Amino acid sequence: MPSPAIDVRGLDKYFGRFKALDGLDLTVGTGQVAGFLGPNGAGKSTAIRVLLGLLRADGGTARVLGGDPWTDAVALHRRLAYVPGDVALWPNLTGGQAIDLLGRLHGTANPARKKELLARFELDPGKKARTYSKGNRQKVALVAALASDAELLILDEPTSGLDPLMESVFTECVREAKAQGRSVLLSSHILAEVEKLCDTVTIIRKGVAVESGTLDEMRHLTRSTVRATTDGDPSVLRGMAGVHGLEVDGDTVTFDVDNAELDDAVRALSGLGLRSLVCNPPSLEELFMRHYGDELAALNGSGAGNGTGAE
Amino acid sequence: MRTFTGTGSLIRFILRRDRVRMTVWTVSLVGMMAMTVPTLDEMFQTPEQRLGRAAIMETPTGIVLGGPGYGLDTYGLGAMVANEMTMTLLVALAVMSVLHVVRHTRAEEESGRAELLRANVVGSGAQMTAALATNAVVNAVIGGLITLSLVANGLDAPDSVAYGAGLALAGITFGAIAAVCAQVSEHSRGASGLAFLVVGVLFMFRVVGDIAERGGSAPSWFSPFAWVQQTRMYDDLRWWPLALYAVVIVAVFAVAFLLAGRRDLGAGLVAARPGPVNASPLLNGVFALHLRQQRTSIVAWTVAVALFALSFGTLIAEIDTMVEQNPELVTRMGLDAQNMSSAFLGMLLLYVVMTAAAFATLSVLRTRAEETSGRAELVLSTAVGRIRWMGSAMLVSTLTAIVMTLLGGASLGLGAALATGDDDWVGTVTEAAAAQLPVVLMFVGLTALFVGVAPRLVGVVWAWFGYGLVATIFGPLLDLPEWMMDYGPFGLVAQLPVEEFETAPFIVVLGAALATAAVGLAGFRRRDLATV
Repeated sequence: MPSPAIDVRGLDKYFGRFKALDGLDLTVGTGQVAGFLGPNGAGKSTAIRVLLGLLRADGGTARVLGGDPWTDAVALHRRLAYVPGDVALWPNLTGGQAIDLLGRLHGTANPARKKELLARFELDPGKKARTYSKGNRQKVALVAALASDAELLILDEPTSGLDPLMESVFTECVREAKAQGRSVLLSSHILAEVEKLCDTVTIIRKGVAVESGTLDEMRHLTRSTVRATTDGDPSVLRGMAGVHGLEVDGDTVTFDVDNAELDDAVRALSGLGLRSLVCNPPSLEELFMRHYGDELAALNGSGAGNGTGAE
Repeated sequence: MRTFTGTGSLIRFILRRDRVRMTVWTVSLVGMMAMTVPTLDEMFQTPEQRLGRAAIMETPTGIVLGGPGYGLDTYGLGAMVANEMTMTLLVALAVMSVLHVVRHTRAEEESGRAELLRANVVGSGAQMTAALATNAVVNAVIGGLITLSLVANGLDAPDSVAYGAGLALAGITFGAIAAVCAQVSEHSRGASGLAFLVVGVLFMFRVVGDIAERGGSAPSWFSPFAWVQQTRMYDDLRWWPLALYAVVIVAVFAVAFLLAGRRDLGAGLVAARPGPVNASPLLNGVFALHLRQQRTSIVAWTVAVALFALSFGTLIAEIDTMVEQNPELVTRMGLDAQNMSSAFLGMLLLYVVMTAAAFATLSVLRTRAEETSGRAELVLSTAVGRIRWMGSAMLVSTLTAIVMTLLGGASLGLGAALATGDDDWVGTVTEAAAAQLPVVLMFVGLTALFVGVAPRLVGVVWAWFGYGLVATIFGPLLDLPEWMMDYGPFGLVAQLPVEEFETAPFIVVLGAALATAAVGLAGFRRRDLATV
């Protein structure tokens, strides 16, 4: 097993007295796409800036491509490419100029790839950056990063501002990057995107990783949703270990069950004479909501709720 | 009048947003006036002292800082105020008004906040009208309080009213000029730069006109800087020059309004054209990037400094004329024509040095703007180290400041040489400019020090700059003690051609420039980057 592209252990970062990162652990395996999930303000961008040597960690260790992100910044930056969440460009340079400049500063400008990516992202490189919308500025940074030969891509909410069509182009590009053997850290609060692309997921909350692993592993730790129609009265499942939120409507029952108890529950159902059975693994959204659900409840309770904070 | 819908709420909003800023300007200017007037009265009590003082105001230096010279024959307190305070107040009001109007017009558009407002129930002309109205309010308050403080000092009420009104009207005029500039340029930086250039040219018209003839001549009348003093307050008051302000304000406002109606929100008058699809091979590193970002301001500042220096330099021809016409004045001051010219050029050179220092400070501060905007983050995430990024920005500032200082000195000398036929001036003044280089470079280092170590405290640099400016301009006029001058940045090294070159201060200040630059760089490498 090669050493991971990113290896973070117990990372702390303070802004004054505010603890933005509180013992964060994060691993991105070489050649893997790792999702980094959390709502706004959870510390995703802070962690990424530490990984880029833009911020200095106050505790813990961080290794990027085997090097120290603070002391080896320049050498590491030749091997990685970064797309910030909110791309600021030079208003008087065109998008094309900015892409070339970033490529040259990076040291791996690739005109052919630039041209191809411009076409795919439908970006007009002849416009001055001040006339670009947020999505177009995002595209400039994406094209610059994807056109490089970087072995590690660090993408901080790269699709914010992109329309659904461009999002799918982006998805395609990340898959290609993975096929080329590159590693990707993809921070996002768009769950579908992460679910589609990522091999592993780390969910961060208040500066600490609350859940991490492959999606399968994480699903194993959680609940599935079961909907069944039986001949017998399904009420007998009430009170069974691992069964939650049981609702009976005539002969139809819906409930959540801890995956560890799934086997027992299905056996019980089958004893009642099963006529239909649908069992859904938890979506990432449900995993996510489980960790942020109380916040959401508090928000809704105060009448100020606005969903998961996703844009 | 749908165009103006919402003006009232915008006015209240601006007054609220700027209440501290406006108060600081008002208190500083009125306070300066209130403190200086009694001092002038005390310092020059006997008629001899007053006439000696009046003689200084008749020199070219005196005219640049003073005015057309009304009331110099008796030189009472009122005439002193009119001659010695007016230019400083007008320049301060011009700076305040330009910054205020640009901040509330073009800067709002640039930031996108205007879009938010304009989408609301706000007419298309409301924002500019509100900016100009609030500017009028703060100028009127300052003018009114100055009138009160003058009357309190026992000066004639009608003259004091004319003075206060003239100052306020001049401030409003400068604000209207800024409103036009804000229509022309797409960027607030460009708009205020353009407005300051216009203000500078107008200042120049007054100087040229006033030096040519006591009481002013044709060029003076083109300048709003002249009209206040042309009321001849405290000498032989006439009101009608104030009407010129009213006419110009209405005309300039109408122009600004017409221009605003012809363009889209956020756009300049000239539509943005598409640019190159690829970067030129020259744009291949951070030095090239910094240079490119500052290209326009580097060229604008350098050309402006060179032109101003050249035209001011030619004014020394007037000194010879003055000496011929009034030999008694020269002997009374214990000078001859040669060292009067040297003193004049030396003073003008200090303005070149101050301009270059201001440029150096602003130029290094651009790194901070790059950082807080997030653009630095993008660059520093590529294979560019912190030292290389910051260092090349400082190199751009340093090289420009050096060129600006030397070119300014050479142009000043060239102007003098053209006017007198004495070619030696070019070398002499360029050399004098070179002797001031450490001071200019120190501002690069000092600003870098704050950006690198304590970005929040960068105002200290401006405070010291302002102190130096006031000490240098008012020091001689107010007879401030020598040590007060020494604490200012512009008294640190010997001022050629009047003084002899001194090696020790030159080396020490240069060393300070290097040391602060080094500490700033080290600090920038060690600290967290500002995050958006």
